[in-house]
Amino acid sequence: MKPLLSAHNLVKQFPVQAGPFEPKRILTAVAGIDLELYPGETLGLAGESGCGKSTVARLLTGLIPASSGSISFDGKDLASLDAAGTARFRKEVQMIFQDPFSSLNPRMRVAEIIGEPLAIHGIGTPAERRDRVASLATRVGLAPDHLQRFPHEFSGGQRQRIGIARALAVAPRLIIADEPVSALDLSIQAQIINLLQDLKAELGLGFLFITHDLSVLRHLSDRVAIMYLGRIVETGSREAVLDRLLHPYTEVLLSAIPRIDGGKERRVIARGELPSPLAPPSGCPFHTRCPYAKPVCASDPPPLEEKEPGHWAACHFSKEIYRSQR
Amino acid sequence: MAALLEISGLSTRFNLPGGELRAVEGVDLTLEAGETLALVGESGCGKSMTAASIIRLVPPPGRIVSGSIRFKGVDLLQLPEDQMRNVRGNRIAMVFQDPMTSLNPVFTIGNQIAEGLRIHRGLSKEKAEAEAVTMLSLVGIPAPRERLKDYPHQLSGGMRQRVMIAMALTCRPELVIADEPTTALDVTIQAQILELLDRLKEETGMGLILITHNLGIVAERAHRTAIMYAGQIVEMAPTAELFANPLHPYTRGLLASLPEKAKPGERLATIAGSVPDLKKEFAGCPFRERCPICEERCATHQPGMKEAGPGHQVRCLMAP
Repeated sequence: MKPLLSAHNLVKQFPVQAGPFEPKRILTAVAGIDLELYPGETLGLAGESGCGKSTVARLLTGLIPASSGSISFDGKDLASLDAAGTARFRKEVQMIFQDPFSSLNPRMRVAEIIGEPLAIHGIGTPAERRDRVASLATRVGLAPDHLQRFPHEFSGGQRQRIGIARALAVAPRLIIADEPVSALDLSIQAQIINLLQDLKAELGLGFLFITHDLSVLRHLSDRVAIMYLGRIVETGSREAVLDRLLHPYTEVLLSAIPRIDGGKERRVIARGELPSPLAPPSGCPFHTRCPYAKPVCASDPPPLEEKEPGHWAACHFSKEIYRSQR
Repeated sequence: MAALLEISGLSTRFNLPGGELRAVEGVDLTLEAGETLALVGESGCGKSMTAASIIRLVPPPGRIVSGSIRFKGVDLLQLPEDQMRNVRGNRIAMVFQDPMTSLNPVFTIGNQIAEGLRIHRGLSKEKAEAEAVTMLSLVGIPAPRERLKDYPHQLSGGMRQRVMIAMALTCRPELVIADEPTTALDVTIQAQILELLDRLKEETGMGLILITHNLGIVAERAHRTAIMYAGQIVEMAPTAELFANPLHPYTRGLLASLPEKAKPGERLATIAGSVPDLKKEFAGCPFRERCPICEERCATHQPGMKEAGPGHQVRCLMAP
């Protein structure tokens, strides 16, 4: 099967200046990542704040240009698309945002919000659009009389349903969802997770799911990629990465999650703080916090290698650390 | 011996244009010294307003309408404001969720930590500064003497939260109320901060009220847990007992909806509907409309708290 979306050696750098008389510096938010997403598959991208996961989402949707590297959708390089091709790409890839309060226009009625992508892409007659909007609203669990209301009349969970209906309006093939449930209350979170999962199964959508909540990640993803300081440090199937991990950062991240069944005892705590992406450490980016770091980690950056079939990790010592324990 | 904190019949309301909002409605709870009590619930359930009521900082137009809050036997609600000011920040301290908005951006952190010591303990500037350095190193901030001259924006989120904790603990309070202290932080930093709070609690013997919506944190850190819904405590029990034997349908629903309770890809259990409008007075049980087991009498009878086991209370007519 050919990938729906693939990125090769993707880099994004931002020039930053702390003040008017400060020197300009380069912040590398995404430091050369490769990823592939197949039709109907959910790829979960996880990492802590500042690791570059949201920048990856904005690069892949074409909202911001990459500094270098390439992205192709359906086998075609985005850089080579003509105007019609770009318009088609923008229809086929839709986004669901984290904050349902700032991602809906407060002056538009729900029907206009959900119908806007249809109008922009010139799909259907006004009457057909109205029907499509009504059926989308029902599909995501909104009542017909909700359509004439404004966003402020809704709770966070219902607003997220509006955002999901808007993303589905133009029948995309890929949805990029950036933390779609992290702003919601627990009982509402479960409702939205179920909705996303039903839609995925029903419509065969590809999903790129960005989250820092690893229990949500485990629940929704087919494949998982873990990011640290702009790099993918481990990737593979959900079971491989979450149950047979091969990177110390993944271990630290997983063991830091408070669990209802206890597990404080197994905890591996990372030392110190996330280094600044303005001055990333030499060698392995995680060596400053890694509980297993050896001198070589400070000088040689480990490549992302296929350690087991389909399971990739960027660590010099993954075999020594993890295979000996099993 | 009197409990460290004993709240009884606390109600806090907000006079709003659309009617009176019942943010906290008849809350009873106690806390012993050295104990961690978790206050759990969804946004708007009244957990933060319960905390604000304890230190008498309910923002207007809210006001405490009834109840008593006994702190070591003294009712805080009867104290004159100048005596209350001596309790706040000194004997009872708060750690807020968002360290960026709760620290003053125009003062150095050294200045902000020393402020409490100068006001409450009457320390000189030099002594207060020396104590601030001790506190910063206690909460694990490297090079504390240099950090004193930093402004909040120069620190990372995790460091700012450590500063907040250092500020809260400078006067060695007997009670700390931490309102979502790690929600704004990443999990690896969250683990560090929670370890720190636990360690400090062991060292000083203070009581801790931990307000959170994260049930994993509750399971790992709290001795007892109170679940709040629509301004009321609906269930309270020792934490292990609550997780093993939840009795209120809301508690059961919350526990069942956790993604870790389902196999990957399975549908999650959900609680139908959303929270009720707290501006309306309830005839019966506030959870009734979302409840899978309610009966006719739930629409007319307000459930009271009943004893369901040792230290286990539940507010449900249907509970055994």
